[in-house]
Amino acid sequence: MKFLISGCLLFLLFACGNNSEFRDEAVLIRVPARFPAVKYPQDNEPSKLRILLGRKLFYDNRLSAEDNLNCGSCHVLSAAFTDGRATSIGMHGFSGRRNAPTLANLAWSPRLMMEGGVPSLETQVLAPLHDSLEMGTNMMVAVDKLNADSEMRSLAEAAYGRDSIDPFVITRALAAFQRTFMSGDSRYDRYKQGMTTELNENEIRGMELFFSERTTCGSCHPDVFMTDHSYYNVGLYEEYVDHGKERATGKPEDIGKFKTPTLRNIALTAPYMHNGSIWSLEEVVTFFNSGGHSHANKDPRVRPLNLNEQEQKDLVAFLQSLTDWNFVQNKQLLPLVK
Amino acid sequence: MLKRVSILFFAALVVLQSCKNEPEEKNPATFNVVFKTSWLGGNFLMEEVYYDAFNNRVRIDKFDSYYAMLTLVKEDGSELVLQDFLRLNHVSENRLSFVVPDGVYTQFRFGIGIPRDYNKDQDPAQYPSSNPLSVAGSQGMFWSWNTGYIFSKLEGKADTTGVEGTSLLIPVAIHAGDDSSYREVESNEFNLKMEAGVARDIVIDIRMDKILGYDNSNGIDIATEAITHTSTNPELAEKFMNNFKEAIIISQ
Repeated sequence: MKFLISGCLLFLLFACGNNSEFRDEAVLIRVPARFPAVKYPQDNEPSKLRILLGRKLFYDNRLSAEDNLNCGSCHVLSAAFTDGRATSIGMHGFSGRRNAPTLANLAWSPRLMMEGGVPSLETQVLAPLHDSLEMGTNMMVAVDKLNADSEMRSLAEAAYGRDSIDPFVITRALAAFQRTFMSGDSRYDRYKQGMTTELNENEIRGMELFFSERTTCGSCHPDVFMTDHSYYNVGLYEEYVDHGKERATGKPEDIGKFKTPTLRNIALTAPYMHNGSIWSLEEVVTFFNSGGHSHANKDPRVRPLNLNEQEQKDLVAFLQSLTDWNFVQNKQLLPLVK
Repeated sequence: MLKRVSILFFAALVVLQSCKNEPEEKNPATFNVVFKTSWLGGNFLMEEVYYDAFNNRVRIDKFDSYYAMLTLVKEDGSELVLQDFLRLNHVSENRLSFVVPDGVYTQFRFGIGIPRDYNKDQDPAQYPSSNPLSVAGSQGMFWSWNTGYIFSKLEGKADTTGVEGTSLLIPVAIHAGDDSSYREVESNEFNLKMEAGVARDIVIDIRMDKILGYDNSNGIDIATEAITHTSTNPELAEKFMNNFKEAIIISQ
């Protein structure tokens, strides 16, 4: 009996000893008003430590080959998690192929990447890590580097019950943090909630035009996400260098199709289009007003709109009302201050 | 004292008796699977230059493949899965040993690639590092931007002039994946009697010349088709996987 009690005490001492500095707890993440609930993966329900570990990893240079890049290098909060470049700069200073997309509201995105080749935020983590034009590392090398850090190891154990950092921990933690990037508190949102003074006359006219049959902008960029999460060819080119969705499917009818970007915080995410080839919202509206270039796969809704100058200004004014300043100034999404 | 000696004597007797009754331990039956590569009947060597059917000079630097569901089928139809997934780089001969129950086996089969349920949209981070499908196990054999495994990867350089001594400048990169690329290979003329203490080998010979289409109407002419990531040239990926299946000879 004496031995049994001693054994139990010893077990308890060991059980508590490893992670006394970290104590995890479930967290309830409030989604923006009018947004649906998030469906979390069974193996990655949000918790305080999972999100904390993800936050640390998101800004950790050890996830890049040369220890000089992290996720936040190309996804800067003040630019709604974009980087203001046409295409991002990756390993060795190489330029990437595409414009860095915003990371807002990915918790609701059914598929990731501009061709939709990735099914979950967890799996998506591998893409920039392994891409030689982005972070260019090998996940297992990053795992080794992080395992040399006892604090990260302890955090991994407390958050996920694993005895070390491994690909499971890295992919889950980064996804858990990114699912907290929720943006739904723009002036437009407040207007939709009944605060009618939030939008001025120009913005209201722009909004009505945006969701009208005349422009059909809202059919691909519907409320609340301002994206339908689908893939279209908008006639940006007659011949595409980057074939978009066709890269993944091999189907000719997918050439030039890219995932519809959300327009939330769009005023902060210039330049625009899959390759960052259009530098201002005014030019984007001009492009769509023109009806774009001819292409066999172009969506028929992209056609000459014949908008006058004032109508184009109204559309731009509406798009600018989609900025969520609370989101881009949320300190919980910035690197931890040591 | 006498009582103690008696007890010890009887205890020793019981122990001796129980040892005597124990059946004689035999070594279990061992089934060895040997994967080897060849070129026109001779040994194939990585980084060696060969002439293909189109008189191109080809040097293969990498040939990495996944195999799945290595299975023995007994004469009563019951199946024994020896290994679910296997990744081989074919730099040298690979020998795998399996302990199998006694019996007569009439079929051996396996897949080239990864079956549908384990391929598209799967997360390699869910597997422990020892699993060939894990992040560690699938290094270089997983499309992270278009989630799925590369079933077979053949890389090298070629020269289409056919002139000895000319530099091999044309890159060859055939990366075949996607669910439609999965191929099943089976050996039906197969009769393997396994019994305790016996080791039997089968040899899986992958004829690299046949993969490129030697003596085959589906020959891959490096001069015109040398690169595919499957979706970029699905026809070449399909031809490659068909040739790969045809290139395999299983012998006992």
